[in-house]
Amino acid sequence: MDSFERFSVEYSPNEIIFCEFEPGYEFYFIQSGKVKIVKVINNIEKTLDVITTGDVFGEMSILEHEPRSATAIALDHVKLLKFHRDNFDSLLEGNHELAYKLLLIFSKRIYDAKRRLMILLLDEPSLKIMDVFIMLAEQTQSVDPVNEMSFAVTPQQVASWAGMNLKNVQAELDKLIQLNKIDMYKDRIVVKNMRDFQRLVASRRKNMYS
Amino acid sequence: MTGASGITTRTYKAGSIIYFDGDRSDHIYILKSGKVVLTSIKLDTGEEMKENVRLGEFFGVKSVLGKYPREETAQTISETTVLVLRAADFEKLILANVSIVRKMLRVFSNQLRRIHKMLRNVLGQADAVNPAIELFSIGEYYYRNGVYNQALHAYKKYMEHYADSGNAAKAMQRINEIETGNYKPDTGPERPRSEESLFGGDDTMDDFRLDDNDSDEPREVMETKSMLDSELNNFFSEEEALPDFDDFSMDEQDNFSGGRLEEAGTLFEQKRFDNALNLYREVLDSGELMDDNDIAKAYLGIGRSCAELGNNKEAMQSFSAIVKNYPASAGAKEAYFEIGAILDSSGQKDKALQYYKKTASLQPNDAFTNKAAKKIKELGV
Repeated sequence: MDSFERFSVEYSPNEIIFCEFEPGYEFYFIQSGKVKIVKVINNIEKTLDVITTGDVFGEMSILEHEPRSATAIALDHVKLLKFHRDNFDSLLEGNHELAYKLLLIFSKRIYDAKRRLMILLLDEPSLKIMDVFIMLAEQTQSVDPVNEMSFAVTPQQVASWAGMNLKNVQAELDKLIQLNKIDMYKDRIVVKNMRDFQRLVASRRKNMYS
Repeated sequence: MTGASGITTRTYKAGSIIYFDGDRSDHIYILKSGKVVLTSIKLDTGEEMKENVRLGEFFGVKSVLGKYPREETAQTISETTVLVLRAADFEKLILANVSIVRKMLRVFSNQLRRIHKMLRNVLGQADAVNPAIELFSIGEYYYRNGVYNQALHAYKKYMEHYADSGNAAKAMQRINEIETGNYKPDTGPERPRSEESLFGGDDTMDDFRLDDNDSDEPREVMETKSMLDSELNNFFSEEEALPDFDDFSMDEQDNFSGGRLEEAGTLFEQKRFDNALNLYREVLDSGELMDDNDIAKAYLGIGRSCAELGNNKEAMQSFSAIVKNYPASAGAKEAYFEIGAILDSSGQKDKALQYYKKTASLQPNDAFTNKAAKKIKELGV
C-alpha cells in the first residue's frame, strides 16, 4: 500500500471519522489503530463493531448514494487510507488486492445479513433461539457440526441475534434446560444435540409458506 | 481437461444438478455453453425464484468467497459446459480483470441494500428517516452527554449538508457554544467520558463483557439484578460529577411536538399503552423536542408505558436516562420514584429504599413525596 501515501489521514483518540446520517463519499482502509463503529438507537449509543489494521469501512458509500448508516470513531491513534469513490476505478486498477478484499467483505456481509433475516422470519421464539445456535455452529466453519457444541455466548447476545427481549429469551432458555436440550454456564451455553435443532428448524422453515 | 492453472472444464447432460442449495463447496463456475438455471427460495415469502445464467457469466461465487453454504440450486436445462475454478484461480482471474470486480460489487451492493431493507421491515424500524433531522439529533445526543468534539462534528456536517432544513440556527448556536467553551448543560471542562460511564448496563450484541456476578441466585433473577446494578453503579458513580443542568429551553416552543406529547398522555390514560409508547418514541426520536422538561416527559411516558407492558428493562433505561441526563427537569423526581418501584418489585429492597429516599428529598413537596414516604415506611425503616 506504499503507493497510496497521498491518501493517508490520521485521527487522534475519540475523534469522529464520520457521523451517522452525514453524506459519505469515501471509504477507508485501516493501516494501524482501532476504530469503533457505533449507532445511537433509542437514545443509547451501541457499539456495533471494533475494527483494526487491515479492515475496510465505509465501503457502502462506494456504490450507494445513501447517508452513513453508522458513526466511526477513532479509539486510539489511527492511520487510515481514505479513498473517494470517484477514484474507485483507478484505485481498483492500481490495487487489485484491495478490490478482491472488497468482494470478500461484501460476500460475507450479504450472507450475515441474510442469515440474520432467516432467524427473524421464524415465527416461534423457541425456533429463533435454536436457529441462533445453528448460525453460530455454521460460523465455526465445521462442515458437519458435531452433536454437542459449546458456544461462548451470553443470553443478551442470543436475544440480540434473535430480535427478542432478554426476558423472553431467558424463559425459552429455561425451557430448553428443563427439556435437557442445553446446559447453561456462566460463560457459555452447550447445545447437546445440534442435529436435533437443525431438524426442527429445517422442518418448520420448509412448512412456513405451505 | 485440466490446465496448468487448475481450471477445469466439465460437461453436464440436460437436467443435471451442478450443486444443491445448502451444499458446501469451493467451486466457482463460468458458463461456457448450454443453459443453467439457478433456483432459490425468497426469504420473506417462500416464493421460488428462477434466474438464468448468461453465457460467460460466473455463478456460485458469493458462497465460496464468503465461505458459506450454497443458497441456490444450479441445474442444467440443456447439455452444458462450464469452467470450474477454485477461489485461488478466481482471485488470479479477476485480479487481471478489474472491471469484473466493479460489476460484481455493484450487484452485491444492491443485494445488500435489499436485505437491509427487509431486516428493517422485520424489526419494525421505520425506513422513512430524514437524515437531516437524524444528524441533528445525533449532535444533540452527544451534546447532552458531554461528548462535545463528536457533537461538534455532527453539527458542522449538518451545516455543511443540510443547512436549509430547519435546525440551522440551533446548530450554529451549538457550534458557537462548543467552540467558545460556553456550553450550557455541562459547566466543567470538556472531558471525554469513558464508554463505561456513558453506555454502561447496555446489552449490545457485540458487547462481550461477561457478567462477573458470582451469586447463586437463579439465573433470571441474577440477570435482572446485574442489569440494574450496573445501571445503578453507573448512576451513583456519576452523581458527584453530574453538573447542575440549567434549563436551556429555547424561545420557540414546538407546539406540534408538545401537542403529540399530550396526545400520547391521553392514550396512556386510556390504557392504550402500546399506542402511547409508539407515539412517545416517535416524538422523542423526531429530535423536535428542545425543552428538557419535554424530553424528560417523553422518557417518562416511555418508561411508564414499558412498565405497564411488563418491559421493566426498557422502563429502567428510560427512567435512568432522565436522572442521568435531565436531573434538573420536572420529571426527574417521578423518575427516581419509578426506579425505586421497579427495584422494589424485583426484590431489591435496599436499592429501592435509596431511590425512595432520594425522591422524598426532592422539591417540590408533591404527591410523589407522599408516595415515597409511604413506601419508605412500608419497607420498615
